[in-house]
Amino acid sequence: MNAPVEIDTMTKTDWTKTGGAKLAEPGDQLQLEHDFFLVTKVETNQVQVLRTKAKLSLLEKELLSWIAKQGTMMKTGNVSASELERQARKLGEWLQQSIDAGEWRVEIPERFELHHRLFDGMIPFMLMSEQAENREPSYGELEKVLRSYLSDDMLLVPLREREWLILGSDRLLAEVETYEGDLIERGETKEALVSLATGLHEMLTEEWGGDCHVAVGEPIIPTESLVYSVAMLRETIYLGRKFHVGMHVHMPWLVHLERLLSGIPEPVRARFMDEMSGRQDLFTDPETVSTLDAFFAMDCNVSETAKRLFIHRNTLLYRLDKLKQEAGLDVRSFNDAILVRLLMLLYKVTKRK
Amino acid sequence: MAGVRLEHVYKKYPGSDKASVTDFNLDIQDKEFLVLVGPSGCGKSTTLRMIAGLEEISEGKLYIGDRVVNDVAPKDRDIAMVFQSYALYPHMNVYQNMAFGLKLRKFRKDEIDRRVREAARTLEIEHLLDRKPKALSGGQRQRVALGRAIVREPQVFLMDEPLSNLDAKLRTQMRANISKLMKRLETTCIYVTHDQTEAMTMGDRIVVMKDGFIQQAATPEELYNHPINLFVAGFIGAPAMNFITGQLTEEGGAVRFKATGINVVVPAGKAQLLREKGYIGREIIVGIRPEDLHEEPVFIEASPNSVISATIEVSENLGHEMYLYLNGLGKDNVIARLDGRAQLQEGQTVKLAIDMNKIHIFDKDTELNILEA
Repeated sequence: MNAPVEIDTMTKTDWTKTGGAKLAEPGDQLQLEHDFFLVTKVETNQVQVLRTKAKLSLLEKELLSWIAKQGTMMKTGNVSASELERQARKLGEWLQQSIDAGEWRVEIPERFELHHRLFDGMIPFMLMSEQAENREPSYGELEKVLRSYLSDDMLLVPLREREWLILGSDRLLAEVETYEGDLIERGETKEALVSLATGLHEMLTEEWGGDCHVAVGEPIIPTESLVYSVAMLRETIYLGRKFHVGMHVHMPWLVHLERLLSGIPEPVRARFMDEMSGRQDLFTDPETVSTLDAFFAMDCNVSETAKRLFIHRNTLLYRLDKLKQEAGLDVRSFNDAILVRLLMLLYKVTKRK
Repeated sequence: MAGVRLEHVYKKYPGSDKASVTDFNLDIQDKEFLVLVGPSGCGKSTTLRMIAGLEEISEGKLYIGDRVVNDVAPKDRDIAMVFQSYALYPHMNVYQNMAFGLKLRKFRKDEIDRRVREAARTLEIEHLLDRKPKALSGGQRQRVALGRAIVREPQVFLMDEPLSNLDAKLRTQMRANISKLMKRLETTCIYVTHDQTEAMTMGDRIVVMKDGFIQQAATPEELYNHPINLFVAGFIGAPAMNFITGQLTEEGGAVRFKATGINVVVPAGKAQLLREKGYIGREIIVGIRPEDLHEEPVFIEASPNSVISATIEVSENLGHEMYLYLNGLGKDNVIARLDGRAQLQEGQTVKLAIDMNKIHIFDKDTELNILEA
């Protein structure tokens, strides 16, 4: 540029007084009589500017501005935590507004700075913290931990209080597999997603410092369907917490029945429970509950259930016969199995009232 | 390394009028292997989660070493946890899984390497360091989860049913491995299980819990031989202790215990204590461990005052020992554990002698062990 270049730091107030825009952003430029200023970095109260006395053409100024913007956007590591947080919060607010307005299918507008990072396939995770308020960590702290777990191209978007959206690259799915190159089947994808979410939950519990709930959805192109994903994951955590107390990792494809039950009006549910009067007493016995949980998880297969519970097949049959005797419901018959499954789910909700 | 102390600790969940853990007082010594055991819902996991910092303590104080840690975040408590699920990080190999926590804490690379390799050697998983979790067996995954905790070199290990996802054979093997490992590491360990066999075989000391209360905290031998109440007596031991409700009477200077199918003489020492405490003529519960029923002719001959007869409803021969489910003694089935070589058939009437020196006697109302009180 044939002129000296200095890097200065000034307060935002000084920047505004000098004539800069009120909401300074990297790439902002200001031409005074003798000096040219280019914003390279924005922090909470300060802006970092490049300052030169060189006479620059319009094209040169635009080029410098573009470089400053790209430098910020291409490498998230170069973005100050507060800048990334600001951009993420803006996106989070928009997501919330879209959900509130019922616009679940709306695409992310290009005006968002993070828009360019949302074109690749990403895995949406939702994190809901249950930590005491005084322990809530900063955006930067959480982002650092998550980046170590998911890789640098992850994105953390704060949503509501103690609720975050985490987007991780879908390349993680391939990394879960032990072999390379093979196509991953749909079933395997879900299995891999569950293990990633379970690992994430464990990592957050141990390394971030507290109890939390994690939900994971299937990979998406965020620009196209992020609003829908966020709404669905939020609902999944809600249903998971309501129907499966004690579980901390939730998957949308495992709460179909719960979603349906949740939508049934309370009086109808109460009538069903009344009609089943007495039978729900069975669920106060932990052995019965664990037996039935395993039986349903194993698709009502007696041998597999016995194997999973580490008990003899005859012991399981004895327990199922006892249930039949006491409740008049034989879970080996399809219709009774449905009733018991529904009863179990509803019991978990009603017993806490 | 450090001890852990809980002083009048309570856990109350919002909206619940009953505390999940009530007035929990315990001093866990440095390097001690303490097991919390009890049925589902007894508060053992909640207690462990409070120590871990995953649940807030509603009341009371928790010390790790000399420091009160009620308000310290889990990651700053210098503890390492191993859960039932032992979820590994699926996209990282074994080495990365073990190194992750140290990397996050900005340990030097060579120090991380040293710790990971040392832990891997201890756990015999050195050959697995490059593998992803998906390529590991259940037992290997378990060991990696342990390795992840070990490399942290924490003051206290917290383990919540870490073996319950393993099959019976592997569980037995891992049980021994963990015990051995903890002895070698000389670190305090608090271990939660619902499995009394696990508790008995692993713990230096066991805390039996029920309904949020400590029932008894003692060594395995003490718990087995001197249970403080009916619950502990029934919970510790497999098959469980037999309980027979009956009456104490005094006839010809001897105190007798009478119930359906039973009329036996209580040994003099125990009888004296029962007299002093005013139990003669009252209903009590007698506890008999299955192995304290004998069919050997020598024993029967030597114990003429404690012989009973019963019908065998079911017999289970495990080879080295045999369980007999007997009818006609008290209200419920009585189980006897005999030598596997005993030639006994279902439906047969069998003569057995009770080892009266080893019986336990419980107050029917308070359920406390009269002889231990």
